[in-house]
Amino acid sequence: MTAVQQQGASPPAPAPQGGPPAPPVPSGSVRPGLADVRARAAAMPPRRGIRRAVPRTNSGRIRALSAGVVVVLAGLLLLSWNAVHDARTGVKVIGTAGPQVIATGDLYFRLTDMDAQLAHALLVGAGPAHAADRDQALTRYDGSRSEADKALVEAARLARDDTEKQTARSLLDALGRYERLAGQALLLDQRSPHAAGPPSAAVTQLYRQATDLMKLELLPQAYNLTLDNGTIVRHTYEDKRSAVLTGRTVVLVVGFVLLVLLGGFQLFMTRRFRRLLNLPLALTTVAVLVVVAWTATMLSGEASSLAKAKHDGFDSILALARARAIGNSAQADQTRFLLDPGRADTYEQVFQSKSQTVLYLKADNLADYQNGVKGLGTLQSPRDKPLLGFLGDEGRRPGGSIEGLNDVLHGFQRFQQNDRQMRDLVAHGQRDDAIALQTGQAATDYTSYDKSVVKLAAVHQATFDKAMKDGKGGTKGWQYVLPVAGLVVLLLLVAGIRPRLAEYR
Amino acid sequence: MRGLRYGAAALAVAASAALAAACGIAGASESSVAHKTKLVIGVNKDQPGLGTQQPDGSYQGFDIEIARQIARFMHAHDVEFKTITSATRETMLRNGSVDLVVGSYSITPERKTQVSFAGPYYVAHQSILVRAADGGRVKTVHDLAGRKVCQVPGSVSFPRVTKERGVPAVAVSASGYKDCLDALTTGRLDAVSTDDLILAGLYAQNQRGGGPALRLVNAPFSDEPYGVGIKQGDVDGCEAVNKAITQMYQQGIPAKLLQAQFGSSGLDFTSTVPQFEGCE
Repeated sequence: MTAVQQQGASPPAPAPQGGPPAPPVPSGSVRPGLADVRARAAAMPPRRGIRRAVPRTNSGRIRALSAGVVVVLAGLLLLSWNAVHDARTGVKVIGTAGPQVIATGDLYFRLTDMDAQLAHALLVGAGPAHAADRDQALTRYDGSRSEADKALVEAARLARDDTEKQTARSLLDALGRYERLAGQALLLDQRSPHAAGPPSAAVTQLYRQATDLMKLELLPQAYNLTLDNGTIVRHTYEDKRSAVLTGRTVVLVVGFVLLVLLGGFQLFMTRRFRRLLNLPLALTTVAVLVVVAWTATMLSGEASSLAKAKHDGFDSILALARARAIGNSAQADQTRFLLDPGRADTYEQVFQSKSQTVLYLKADNLADYQNGVKGLGTLQSPRDKPLLGFLGDEGRRPGGSIEGLNDVLHGFQRFQQNDRQMRDLVAHGQRDDAIALQTGQAATDYTSYDKSVVKLAAVHQATFDKAMKDGKGGTKGWQYVLPVAGLVVLLLLVAGIRPRLAEYR
Repeated sequence: MRGLRYGAAALAVAASAALAAACGIAGASESSVAHKTKLVIGVNKDQPGLGTQQPDGSYQGFDIEIARQIARFMHAHDVEFKTITSATRETMLRNGSVDLVVGSYSITPERKTQVSFAGPYYVAHQSILVRAADGGRVKTVHDLAGRKVCQVPGSVSFPRVTKERGVPAVAVSASGYKDCLDALTTGRLDAVSTDDLILAGLYAQNQRGGGPALRLVNAPFSDEPYGVGIKQGDVDGCEAVNKAITQMYQQGIPAKLLQAQFGSSGLDFTSTVPQFEGCE
């Protein structure tokens, strides 16, 4: 007995450097199979380099492979979780920032409307004949002012850095000055009643100061602030979409690594235990395949929802909001043209340049442009006449509606025809008729044009809402799916290796 | 032993993650001018007051100063100027010979199909320059009817008067606006009509050279938004330029530059930031 013990305790020379020496256990408590394996292992020549890291016993190898599978699986689940989180953040930020930015875009529209209504009220005058018209304009002025205040507060809240905050402060300051000038002009105009048409020189002077302030300070800064806010949405969109797509690649690569590992495991088991298939292990592989494929598909869906919300929804809504604001300010330039003949040339040129921003056609002058607009007729498809400007961009966007676009185009054509008629009347000395047209039929036609723009924007709003809903639905329940999938894979793995490990106990 | 195995697995995960992340970054615009430390800016060399090249090869003028300020606020330490012409500027932006163009480059829908525009950094207005003696008779563009007005080939200014405003002015051809100035001072023509900044530059040059008294008529009749040309699709770069322009205006820099360059002409300047075109 002593001799045997001594033999077992002393390591054979040369001692294997990698594995621990076989412990001096009483041979009776160990099954012959394991003792045999250990003896064989001990008899092997010493191994060097990376091979030293490979366990030499079957049970050690099974444990090591299983540990590898568990580690990679944990990595896969964490990375998937991360990608799902990115997708959720992207959808959430665009879902809330998008509408907020669109609300600040409203600021520009409200400001132009304030100046338009002020011009209108001064043009019709304080006489009894146009009392209702003037009251209506002033009511609309107040409404727009209140909306502008609201949008400005929202824009200031969204400001990210000092530059944007300073812009918001400067806007508040300029708006205060504008309201003071507007109040003075209205009061002075009330004290010197006139028939519809240009007011007194003093009133015109005050209005010029007000409208210059609007044009040179308020509107540019409001517009730039909306553009700045739009970049928040663009950056979130680009960051999150790229994070989701990167996450998808990572999930696919790590998933592939896991599948290779499981394949190797299966091969090892087949060779060592001479069984064609370890069923639970095969099921583990299938489960991993399903999880990886499902996650990757879901992430692709999220990325495309984000893209749809941004390009077909948000971009169009913002562009149409700008087209609406610029159209409204062009309409105000018509009123200013009538209100202030001293600046008629400038107001006419600015009207043309704003009209061309909405719908660009090359033209030598306004009359030429208006003939071109009339000649556009009805579009069969957005591509049959390549247009430039906001309406051209809208035509090129996918997901728009050709009927909606044609409604807008027809409204715009009427708007330009009325303008031609109004300017011709002025040229022939029929200023009163021009004013009657501008405050009557032309105003009604403009309102219906404006409504068609709003209606077209609603189509894109629906696209945006649908994409947001899809985006939210896509990741629904994934906080449960991933842990459950992990658990299933783990249980299948245990079921696959437990009986084999048991053979060595 | 097992520790090594874990290490290898962790390494594999980390490597694949890094690989995928690298793919993601490559998708971002690596060629954007937003992060360049050196900017090559295309400018004019023959517009008095706006951009002129000196005999020693250096450039000066309002556009040059604006370009320097934009580069400063974009944190570019190094600026190189290159001469552009109306014929070459789109090509030079597209093939990357210049990063930006700052050279009285009006933003138009047609040009926007070829290049992107940041800014405008200033909105100029078409106006009129006459001899001081005619100052009382030429008050608006309509007073140019029947007068001899300078026409520079390739410039849209003369057609603006005759076609857009419908004023029957008489064309007198000149090779460029410097030539127009000579013709105006020698009496070969009656008026020069183009962007007010160019006119103010001519006015200042004439004053420095001791020419006859001129008058800049303050009757603007168009908006000319001077944009910063940038390679099409460089949205990050465009936003960075817009931010630089905003900061420049918030510090009141353009007003000082305009005053220094054109103050003597009595032109009305705008000292607040213009309405941007938008980068997308």
